[in-house]
Amino acid sequence: MANTSPLKKTNTLTNEDIKNAYIDHVLSNDAPPRSVYDFAKKLKITEAEFYNHYASFMAIEKSIWSDLTSRAIEEVKLQEAWNTYTSREKMLSFFYAYVELLRTQRSFVIYSLKKSKSKISTPAVLADAKPLFIAFSENIIHSGLESGELANRKYFSEKYKDALWLQLAFILNFWIEDDSNDFEKTDEAIEKGIQVTFDLFQRSVIDNLFEYGKFLVRNGKIREKMGI
Amino acid sequence: MGQVKTQQSMPTTRVARSSRFVKTGIQIGGNYIKHYSKKLFNPDISRDELNENNANDIYNSLSELKGSALKIAQMLSMDKNIMPKAYINKFSQSQYNAPPLSGPLIIRTFTKSFGKPPEKIFDSFNLKSTNAASIGQVHEATLNGKKLAVKIQYPGVADSISSDLKLVKPFAFRLLGMNEKELSVYIQEVEERLLEETNYELEVRRSVEFSEACKGLKNVVFPKYYPEYSSNKIITMDWMEGKHLKEFLETNPSQQLHNKIGQALWDFYNFQQHELRAVHADPHPGNFLITPDEKLAVIDFGCIKEMPDDFYVPFFGLVLPQHNRDKSANIKALRALDMIHKNDTPQQVKFYYNSYMEMISLFVLPYRSDTFDFSGAAFFDELYEYGEKLTRMPEFKQPRGVKHFIYINRTNFGLYTILHDLKATVKTNTFRPHIGSK
Repeated sequence: MANTSPLKKTNTLTNEDIKNAYIDHVLSNDAPPRSVYDFAKKLKITEAEFYNHYASFMAIEKSIWSDLTSRAIEEVKLQEAWNTYTSREKMLSFFYAYVELLRTQRSFVIYSLKKSKSKISTPAVLADAKPLFIAFSENIIHSGLESGELANRKYFSEKYKDALWLQLAFILNFWIEDDSNDFEKTDEAIEKGIQVTFDLFQRSVIDNLFEYGKFLVRNGKIREKMGI
Repeated sequence: MGQVKTQQSMPTTRVARSSRFVKTGIQIGGNYIKHYSKKLFNPDISRDELNENNANDIYNSLSELKGSALKIAQMLSMDKNIMPKAYINKFSQSQYNAPPLSGPLIIRTFTKSFGKPPEKIFDSFNLKSTNAASIGQVHEATLNGKKLAVKIQYPGVADSISSDLKLVKPFAFRLLGMNEKELSVYIQEVEERLLEETNYELEVRRSVEFSEACKGLKNVVFPKYYPEYSSNKIITMDWMEGKHLKEFLETNPSQQLHNKIGQALWDFYNFQQHELRAVHADPHPGNFLITPDEKLAVIDFGCIKEMPDDFYVPFFGLVLPQHNRDKSANIKALRALDMIHKNDTPQQVKFYYNSYMEMISLFVLPYRSDTFDFSGAAFFDELYEYGEKLTRMPEFKQPRGVKHFIYINRTNFGLYTILHDLKATVKTNTFRPHIGSK
């Protein structure tokens, strides 16, 4: 027994251990631990040691989210078909991989998202995941713009990534409420939502209409002569 | 897809009919836009108005579709058939218009079902679908040198069928001036069949069973099904080479070949009806191929209608030629089939007896002789005319007949229509109705 006593021993807890203990706690109690002191005591580490790993409970949650997000990004890039995919397909692929991965932590995801009430702004827990996703999106959008798959529009192309982030927030909130078999409805929400978002990113009738309007304005003189 | 194609005798072209549905789609889209823009200014506005607008537009387009085929269907089962038939057409058509699944979703569907992507299961798999099935799409794959057809279901189909039915139902009843209670039993029947079609596991089981049971039939072939590569969203079967009926007819086949294919079709249906007492209830040309070696390939078992004894025995009892059968036995059968109601007056009994017996005698004409030539227009004209006459009679305003008629009528008239298109003369005595035990 003596050699397993945690007291005064250099602790061997990893970030992962603390995260798992935290998830276990919030899911068993439906609330965060009362204090870092209390939580550290349960982990049989000192409070100071806890801070070596994380600054707060919120920091743990943020890192769980950013881990899940970066794992999903890594996983899709390993898919065989990845390099043959269009930007649209890459994004679809990411979302399917993401919800698949989130299944493994569904209870935590629901706990974590439901706790932050605001549906409009980015929930605080996603603060670290967001830049990862945005960078990933920018990459995909960039290659789509280069290949001509997506329309390069002044000012607006800059906003494409934000539209995708809104989709992510929407799909997460949809998924935590989804009670269909195998979360089939979420698949539908992804398929339809991403398709329509990318339809908007593509050159469409709106661009042509805009071009036509510009043309008519430029050629006002001819129009006047025509009497319209 | 399909049921619309069944109605090839309809005067309008398929294109014209599809455009009807496109128009309805646009109108419904418009209704939603109208609804939400109104809602912007008046948040209290309820969805009722929207639903009613939708139902109106759907019904308007459906009533324009009431072509001859719909009349025929009406004929045997009377007015009650309008709605179910219209439902079937509408929903199959709207599903036909579903956008193709994205590559990533196909891969996801495979991963969910088998834990691995399609390229890990098959030697090759074409992510681009070759054609649309009713509620899914078909992909080409190969495995061990064999060409396979892999059908993948659109996600959320079952759900959207239920919700669409719910949306349209009450308004449709009101628009048709019919009583929901009286119709609900028929609607339920249609809903059940439609939902069954979304159950791919059931379809594979049935496909295997039916192709096994029917394997003795001459000139009828079935693809092999692969349950190990099928799931609730995926069906894998052999790829069948062949031509659809329309393409087949364009090759100007000989009359002998017309008859051969027609005979195969007749045997396939009547073997099922009278020997299996459960029938492939979706006889539209898209479900069949004529193979290069001149055989009929049956490629879809999504819709199966089982006939319980309490339907089969009275119905085919009426159909069977029995010279010494007396009127009271027929009336008993009509009562059992709910075509004569318990509280009908003696005059009503007489009226319905005569009408139904006349109708049935038309319907069974092909059974009355050993061979029947389906190419003649006279038989069909008479059917239409009689149907027309009945729909104008106030006595047939209220629905009569048990629910089983909906699909059995659809099956037999679908069969007759295809045989008519084929201009086939068939031996109709190959599989006769028989009342004894199966």
